[in-house]
Amino acid sequence: MRGFNVLLQKEFREAWRSRKFLWIPLVFALLGMSDPLTNYYMMDILNAVGNVPAGFEMLLPELMPVDLLQASIGQFQTIGLLVIMAAFAGAISKERANGMATLLYVRPISFAAYFLSKFTVLSVIGLVSITAGFTGSVYYTVILYGSFDVATLLASFCTYYVWLLFVLAVTLLMSAAFKTTIATAFTFIVIFVGQIIDALVGSFWTISPWKMPAYGVQLIRGTMEISDYWWSMLLTVVILLTCNVLGIWAMKKNAAMTKI
Amino acid sequence: MTTLLEVTGLTKQYAEKIVVDGIDFTLEENTSTALIGPNGAGKTTTLSMLTGLLKPTSGSVKMQKGEVRANIGFLPQYPQFHPWLSAIEFTEMAAKLNGVSAKNAKKDAQKTLEFVGLGNDLNKKIATFSGGMKQRLGISQAIVHKPKLLLLDEPVSALDPVGRREVLDLLKGLQQETTILYSTHILNDAEEMTDQLLFLRDGKLVEQGTLLEVRQRFDELHYVVEFSSEEEAKHFTDQYELKGKIKGCFVYIEIIDEKPSMQQLLRYLSNAPYKIRKVERQTASLEEIFMKVAKRI
Repeated sequence: MRGFNVLLQKEFREAWRSRKFLWIPLVFALLGMSDPLTNYYMMDILNAVGNVPAGFEMLLPELMPVDLLQASIGQFQTIGLLVIMAAFAGAISKERANGMATLLYVRPISFAAYFLSKFTVLSVIGLVSITAGFTGSVYYTVILYGSFDVATLLASFCTYYVWLLFVLAVTLLMSAAFKTTIATAFTFIVIFVGQIIDALVGSFWTISPWKMPAYGVQLIRGTMEISDYWWSMLLTVVILLTCNVLGIWAMKKNAAMTKI
Repeated sequence: MTTLLEVTGLTKQYAEKIVVDGIDFTLEENTSTALIGPNGAGKTTTLSMLTGLLKPTSGSVKMQKGEVRANIGFLPQYPQFHPWLSAIEFTEMAAKLNGVSAKNAKKDAQKTLEFVGLGNDLNKKIATFSGGMKQRLGISQAIVHKPKLLLLDEPVSALDPVGRREVLDLLKGLQQETTILYSTHILNDAEEMTDQLLFLRDGKLVEQGTLLEVRQRFDELHYVVEFSSEEEAKHFTDQYELKGKIKGCFVYIEIIDEKPSMQQLLRYLSNAPYKIRKVERQTASLEEIFMKVAKRI
């Protein structure tokens, strides 16, 4: 792991100065806030927009706090992940393509150190982002709808974080293995197509990394077979670690592709 | 002299195409070597293999003392930096990654940046640097850890004449302390700061040696005498036993085995009733030698 601390410092500087630590969490915070607020003020919004016939009444379902959290996670799962993947799909491939990696690859650093320094910083950005997202969602949900059990809420948060680490590991692996455009496309395919498959025919299996976000919500609802949760968690962590190992290998193998 | 680097049978092949074809050479300590060749000769591929960026198909690169990657500094033709870093941050990072202690890295980075003329721009973001400043920063990141071998890919080709002169002077200053191998197609530069020449053509090392050795192999030494008129030139070649080729007012007299000597020639000329404008001993420029090597089948 030669050079890890120095590379980690460099990655943190990059993320900080490119304001990734600011705008990505901000996106998640807005996504988190949007569902509790729009659901609560739906009637007001409709009235304010106008064109509502006199005497119009709409029966809105009575939402529980967990429903709002589920809706927020749904937002993270689409727009949130899209932002994360688009922001990081070029983390390695772009540096290779524009030649910035050359001045690092010629030094006696370990590729594991370089890959893991990037993964560490991405993980921290991910953590800050979902913290902002969950805070935004939970804050307005608690004010407008009611409270959560803190322990299960924390468990749900951690579960979603493990899923996000999985997404980041896949993104970074693709970036190490392919050029930016191909890496972006493959990451989208793995994550989003995986989600669609799981949504369509996922009832045939209970253990899958793509079930982790749903399991996070079910933890709060208490409607889940706990062994399925743990097996899915284990599988997610194993795949995540495998992605990191493959990513290091791919980064080393493709070092010659760096522009000189 | 002590050998620093030994390259044996270095080859790079992509499918059917051999880009570098079994080249052998050695680099002596504290010498400067120019890797010359036309475009596509394999210069950058050779440097890439020496840096370890590219794995050779066959052959070896051995450094006499220690591992290659830990003992080199490399400057690509168009160095790309992380633009959000300042010059001092980048150079300090380069030093640390090459094993300089955190305690010394900042000090060394500052000293090196001052050496390359960026002492007033230590804290400026690299994004604001001009081409010449980036090239100097490139040299600074390559030498900050005091490498035994400095590899430079076309170090001045992208610079304007002023930037080129500044960088060349810098490199000349480094010649005493480290071994330099640089690729170039600007032959005046090679002539200015080279102990050894390596001519690459179609991936093969077709000529190598000191500038003097290569010159001796390819030079057709001659004197050039410039007369005041073409008639005088013709008259000279008709009347005197020193025969030469006439081109207008110029007469080219070939030197074979150092004969005639300059004294002999001047004696002839001083006894003759001609108005002589100029007499000089001409040697082929590196460019002329390059053209000969490049065109040789």
